[in-house]
Amino acid sequence: MNDHPHPDPEARKPGAENPVDPGATALAEALRSSFVIVKAVMVVLLVVFLGSGFFKVGPDERAIILRLGKPVGAGEAALLGPGLHWSWPYPIDEYRKVSISGIQRITSSVGWYATTPEAELAGTELMPGPSLNPSVDGYALTADGNIIHTRATLNYRIADPITFVFNFVNASNAVQNALDNALHFAATRSLVDDVLTRDIIGFGELVKRRTTELVAKQNLGIVVEQCKVQSIPPRQLRDAFANVLKAEIARSKALNEARSHENQVTNKAGADAESRVNLAVSERVRVVSDVKSRAEVFSTLLPEYNANPSLFVQRRLTESLGRVMTNVQDKIFLTEGENGRTKELRLLLNRELPKAKTEEPR
Amino acid sequence: MKRNPLTIGIGVLLIIIFALWLCVFQVRQSEVVVVTTFGKVTRSLTEPGPYLKAPWPIQSDHHLDQRVQNFEDKFTEGLTQDGFGLLTSVYVGWRVTDPKTFFPKFAGSAKPMLEAERGLELLLGHAKTAVTSGHPLGAFISPADGGNQFVEIEKQILDAIRAELKANNYGLDVDFLGFKRLALPESVTQNVFERMTSERQLLINRSQFEGEAEALKIRSEADRKAAEQLSAADAKAREIRGKGEAEAAKSLSVFQQNPELANFIFRLEALENSLKDRSTLIFDQSTPPFDLFRGASTNLLKK
Repeated sequence: MNDHPHPDPEARKPGAENPVDPGATALAEALRSSFVIVKAVMVVLLVVFLGSGFFKVGPDERAIILRLGKPVGAGEAALLGPGLHWSWPYPIDEYRKVSISGIQRITSSVGWYATTPEAELAGTELMPGPSLNPSVDGYALTADGNIIHTRATLNYRIADPITFVFNFVNASNAVQNALDNALHFAATRSLVDDVLTRDIIGFGELVKRRTTELVAKQNLGIVVEQCKVQSIPPRQLRDAFANVLKAEIARSKALNEARSHENQVTNKAGADAESRVNLAVSERVRVVSDVKSRAEVFSTLLPEYNANPSLFVQRRLTESLGRVMTNVQDKIFLTEGENGRTKELRLLLNRELPKAKTEEPR
Repeated sequence: MKRNPLTIGIGVLLIIIFALWLCVFQVRQSEVVVVTTFGKVTRSLTEPGPYLKAPWPIQSDHHLDQRVQNFEDKFTEGLTQDGFGLLTSVYVGWRVTDPKTFFPKFAGSAKPMLEAERGLELLLGHAKTAVTSGHPLGAFISPADGGNQFVEIEKQILDAIRAELKANNYGLDVDFLGFKRLALPESVTQNVFERMTSERQLLINRSQFEGEAEALKIRSEADRKAAEQLSAADAKAREIRGKGEAEAAKSLSVFQQNPELANFIFRLEALENSLKDRSTLIFDQSTPPFDLFRGASTNLLKK
């Protein structure tokens, strides 16, 4: 419409209404349409704004909504469980999430020499120097002025999530501090040998007890489940401590050997003593019965003898000699030499090994 | 252009939102808000919720975390009462208790909390040095029933710092305090190692000597008892034999009736017993019964 000249405005009929300027019409239309777009955009923004209020709570989490700063609901009811939730977006509502995933774990940060878990496992730790630099290596002092390395691992559960999140800026740090304190508390009142060998369990219990006390006193809202403590002598003195154990073992061994010797000797003596007494008893019995039987025999023989002594003697003698002859191994009978000459007899002696006899037959 | 009521409505709404944004603020849970009027603290609010204030620059709101803050200080060396150097580091749980005094003191810096902790660290250093010098080293490290004052010392440091905070009007308080680390100066640790080594050596020697002595005692005791037992047994055996002889002697009285006969019988027995085995006898015709060989029946009746 712009390529031909506008009609002269004065050529218009006077009195007639001015038609709307086509340019203004176009402008007004453009404005209107853009206004519609603006409205549409605003609606979209509003929807986005409201939609930003959605949030998800994971299975190990709980959430609290703060409406204008105040928590919605009280106590347990304020905790929103896992799932999708909606709140008014900031600045009306804010939400805070709390992790309550089962067992939390924390390790003490003092008391152990400088190392990393990888180096420990691989055995590639640096060799220790002659002293301990407190800003590098941690250690604990014991009641008898000894130095040890000790560390604890604590398993705990968040029992009161609201307290844990809303009362403390960093409650898990507070737990670690309590654990560190407990290590020093326990070490400074225990003897080094109790901590390292004699009462390891007692020491661990002491650490756990102190940590539990502190946690309760400071109202951290957690429950201590388990506390594991590990202690070693300084690496520089590892051999010295090991040698003490070796000496104790050697001592036990010596005592055991002495006791078994004692057993052996005692038993043997007892057996010997008994056998000696038994021997005497049996001998006594034998002697007594021996003599008794002889006396009896004598009593029976006496009247016989008294009746005829010489006959008795002869008879007995002959009987005895007869028995002797039967038992004797070699009998050599010599007849009388003629004309009374003595006879010579040659004997082969030592025909067998002599036994207990010292006299040889001549 | 016609005025659109929707436009007016939205416009009004925008103005209202703007006004709210200028004049309303929230106090969140576990937060404290300090309201300053022309820079001077006028209100402090701890109850969570929405509040009104005049817009900036008349009034402005400052938010402070009211939760318990964790702070650990660095090692400081103090001298104990008996002249030992002891390095201590403590942890504290502190929080803002009086925002009206806290804020003006620390709000100047960008991070008021850190600024407060710096001040706290200084006070802690003083408190630790003071309390440490009032105790011997044994108060820190000794058995529970041997004068260990670990807990008491912690309490003393806590009381000292609380007093300091109050006196200096910091507007914050310490809820709890405890030792995080106790250590000795590095040069001292070397001496401690030497002492520990000689202590261990003492224990080794003691084990050895005591072990040897006790083993020897057990052995010699056992030997002695065995010898005693045997000699007692021997004595008893002798006694028994003696009794036996005495009993036998009773029977011997029988032989008194004819000692020569008894003698003869015993000699015969002895003869028989001694010639029981492996003997060689040489005899001639004069020995009975072989004297029978000498003569014939004429000797029969010979006496």
